[in-house]
Amino acid sequence: MARKDLLDIASLRREEIEFLLDQSTSFKKLFTHSVKKIPALEGKSVLMLFYEASTRTHSSFEVAAKRLSAEVTNFDVAHSSITKGESVRETIETLQAMRTDYIVVRHAHPGLPGMIARQTTASVINAGDGAHEHPTQALLDAFTIKEKFPDPRGKKVLIIGDILHSRVARSTSTLLQKLGVEVAYLGPGSLVPKYVPASIRRFTDYEAAMAWAPDVVYLLRVQLERQDVQFFPSVREYHRVYGITTTRLAEIRDRGLYIMHPGPVNRGVELCDAVMDYERSLITNQVENGISIRMAVLDWLTPGGEFPRQESYVAPQRASATVGRP
Amino acid sequence: MLLLQNARIASENSPLLIEGDVLIVEGKIQAIGHNLATPKGARVIDARGRILMPAMFDAHVHFRAPGFENKETITTGSEAAINGGVTGVVMMPNTRPALDSATAIATVLENAKLRSRIPVYTSGCVTKNREGKELAEIEGMRELGVKMLTDDGDTTNDPAVLLRAMQYATEFGMFFASHCEVPELAGPRALNEGVMSYRLGIKGSPTCAEEIIIDRDIRLAHAAGAHVHIQHVSSKLGMETIRWWKSRGDVQVTAEVAPHHLLFTDEHIGDYDTNYKMNPPLRTQADCDALLEGLIEGVFDLIATDHAPHTPFEKAQDFMSAPNGITGLDTALVSLYHYFVEPKKFGWDVVVKRYSAEPRRLMGLPVAAIEVGQQAECLLFDTEVETTFTREFMKSKSQNTPFLDQTLKGRVDLVILGTEILLER
Ligand SMILES: [Zn+2]
Repeated sequence: MARKDLLDIASLRREEIEFLLDQSTSFKKLFTHSVKKIPALEGKSVLMLFYEASTRTHSSFEVAAKRLSAEVTNFDVAHSSITKGESVRETIETLQAMRTDYIVVRHAHPGLPGMIARQTTASVINAGDGAHEHPTQALLDAFTIKEKFPDPRGKKVLIIGDILHSRVARSTSTLLQKLGVEVAYLGPGSLVPKYVPASIRRFTDYEAAMAWAPDVVYLLRVQLERQDVQFFPSVREYHRVYGITTTRLAEIRDRGLYIMHPGPVNRGVELCDAVMDYERSLITNQVENGISIRMAVLDWLTPGGEFPRQESYVAPQRASATVGRP
Repeated sequence: MLLLQNARIASENSPLLIEGDVLIVEGKIQAIGHNLATPKGARVIDARGRILMPAMFDAHVHFRAPGFENKETITTGSEAAINGGVTGVVMMPNTRPALDSATAIATVLENAKLRSRIPVYTSGCVTKNREGKELAEIEGMRELGVKMLTDDGDTTNDPAVLLRAMQYATEFGMFFASHCEVPELAGPRALNEGVMSYRLGIKGSPTCAEEIIIDRDIRLAHAAGAHVHIQHVSSKLGMETIRWWKSRGDVQVTAEVAPHHLLFTDEHIGDYDTNYKMNPPLRTQADCDALLEGLIEGVFDLIATDHAPHTPFEKAQDFMSAPNGITGLDTALVSLYHYFVEPKKFGWDVVVKRYSAEPRRLMGLPVAAIEVGQQAECLLFDTEVETTFTREFMKSKSQNTPFLDQTLKGRVDLVILGTEILLER
């Protein structure tokens, strides 16, 4: 069952998911001990390659790696302007020379972690690639939900917000569906892709979505920094139509629904301030579970294998061996 | 003198092949018939079982010179053409500098005369530096033989500019080739909006980005009384838009389709394979089916490859960073045979008409028919042999094609242009 890389949720098998969630449970128990460190990755190196800033995911991986006794290095890309693909290739060659064991990578370009994985012997973990995937987020979300619903089959999760730009929506919905959870999307028409998988319900109206009787309301972060194009008229209007307002929170409380959010929260946009004190908000649980899930993932992956052929600038791996059709 | 014996001869007029011998004397077809006598000193080629057809003509290629000779040169590009059975091409003007003046055109044409074994024609820009603002010096280009005006690679975005250009250039007997794309809708990355764009997490380009301009540019041509040629159509509704305008009969419109848009869908991109990244993007199976229907019906006047070389270095980047486009000259004819003629989706007549005769007519050139009195401009195609498109096989400087290392049925064996045998395998 060993794998070299964790690039996406789509290719994870059910038993692999179950295994990771179980492992996460064991690691989480460790947090209650006075000594939180175990020597699982002693002598191994983890390289953090974050082309996009993310304090939350970055520090979560760092804590997870350190608790496994790994050595953590940060590759300083945030301050350089090298974010284009061709420079990434040069970076990959450097990384391969460094013989690091694990690479945790975040990049704005979808598919880029996979490209790195094909060219290094290190285990590559996708910590978010554009609007494509964010597998550890999905795993921690599933773990958080399973803590409340040990058998999540048939439960319903309503994901609200910017689906178009969200890797969280894609990864988490894929994973939850693999666990038998029903998923629905709700968001501004300009931020929900026209083609979502048929297995995901799509609501255009908050009231209708509530009538579907979700168990969890999962709010996505509105990426205000991505609003180079205006997708909705104003933040105020967004909050009123798609946010959890004080009135809506009262209804959610009455129904006993859980609230989740991948963070960081834009207060007053996705959620009103009062949600922070809501007893069924799982937002801090998600942060906490992020560490044990990432420990489970690091512990599970197996770096190594053949040193890739050093043929410089070969075309990327073909998806299928033969040209299909007709 | 050359005597081709027992060839099966293809023409644009019938899907049936006619068997016979063809005698070529001083670059001209002197006789066609059965059991022709072998004149003294003639070289005899046994063409039994092979197909003799007019050589192809590609009205949409990027030879990248001047400015991007690391991707392709006029020499490597035209050798790729010959390799694929193509004996004439029309270059697109999106070079650096762009071909927007008589000086630039003259340089390219002179270069081509020295460095190419086949005639290389070029189109000229509609606007200076392809910026869509000021008209290029159109008449100066016409003097040098330019017929086609295009800002290919980009749409001439301002309709008023294009309308003025049409009104002006039509007087000189020139026509317009349109790259159809609303940039604000298409977005920066060439991926169809659909199931794949959701899965890959890339904002997709909707087909309406193409269809709006197809319609717009035909309307403009209608208003200006101009001839507009719609380039590389990728969508069903795009095809239907052209079909509708053609059915009205009151505007001069022609259109082309590229082999890759007939053959591949966005699903082929799979795990971000940049060899399938092109603009307009690969669409869905329903689009492919509609395009094939449009080709057979004649909505598309011609097949053109949009041969677009990029270096392995550039294509080896991640999907977002890699440039758009695939090469096509080395592979087009064999792939058309493998995927369409051999499985009987259409006959050789469609290939000859759409990839040889009509593109030449579009450019106002004589058609390379295999008829007595015509210049010999033809090829022999072996349907029984396979071609493997290895790096070594392909003559283009770049090999950014999904066919790299693929084996397809059919092989271009012999290419003749006048008195020259350009290729013999
Ligand atoms: Zn174009």
